[in-house]
Amino acid sequence: MPVTQEITDRLNEAFAPTLLEVIDDSESHRGHSGYMEGGESHFNITIRAPAFAGQSRVARHRAVHAALGPDLLGRIHALALDIGA
Amino acid sequence: MTDAATKIRETIQAHDVVLYMKGTKSMPQCGFSSRVAGVLNYMGVDFQDVNVLADADIRQGIKDFSDWPTIPQLYVKGEFVGGCDIITEMTLSGELDQLFEEKGVAYDKDAADKIREANA
Repeated sequence: MPVTQEITDRLNEAFAPTLLEVIDDSESHRGHSGYMEGGESHFNITIRAPAFAGQSRVARHRAVHAALGPDLLGRIHALALDIGA
Repeated sequence: MTDAATKIRETIQAHDVVLYMKGTKSMPQCGFSSRVAGVLNYMGVDFQDVNVLADADIRQGIKDFSDWPTIPQLYVKGEFVGGCDIITEMTLSGELDQLFEEKGVAYDKDAADKIREANA
């Protein structure tokens, strides 16, 4: 399964978001460290879900990290997160 | 506690502001590290940089220590503040100024305002 789809599925399942955008931004990092041929190395995620209400910034990020899981996080080089309630 | 954790604890206690980053503050080697170091440099914050690329134990150790999977990571007065996304958001919202004021860390308020004006 493509990584974009895997990320999308895990976040949908964990947070039932009202907005979710998962963008494979790997091409804009071509030539930089961590770039892999075929992409799937750099991701930008925008997510809005009621589950994040009242959580600190750090807690929101940790919740997303936990939902993605260490195996998936270990496979991608960079993750930019924009999280809101 | 592992050696890496002991070393990290000593570093974040010895310095008010510590940035764990790829590269150094004068020569960052990753765009995300560069952005945070650039903000701190521009705001005139006196900070200790730790180049995780120079030490594999610290590179993994800081991820375990902070329970945070990515670099850079900012510590202020021994407390984990966040990574690149969080520092960027806090810079633009003024929360970073507020944090530095609460913690008694010197910074250039005019420079911080200029960053916000440029990104408004």
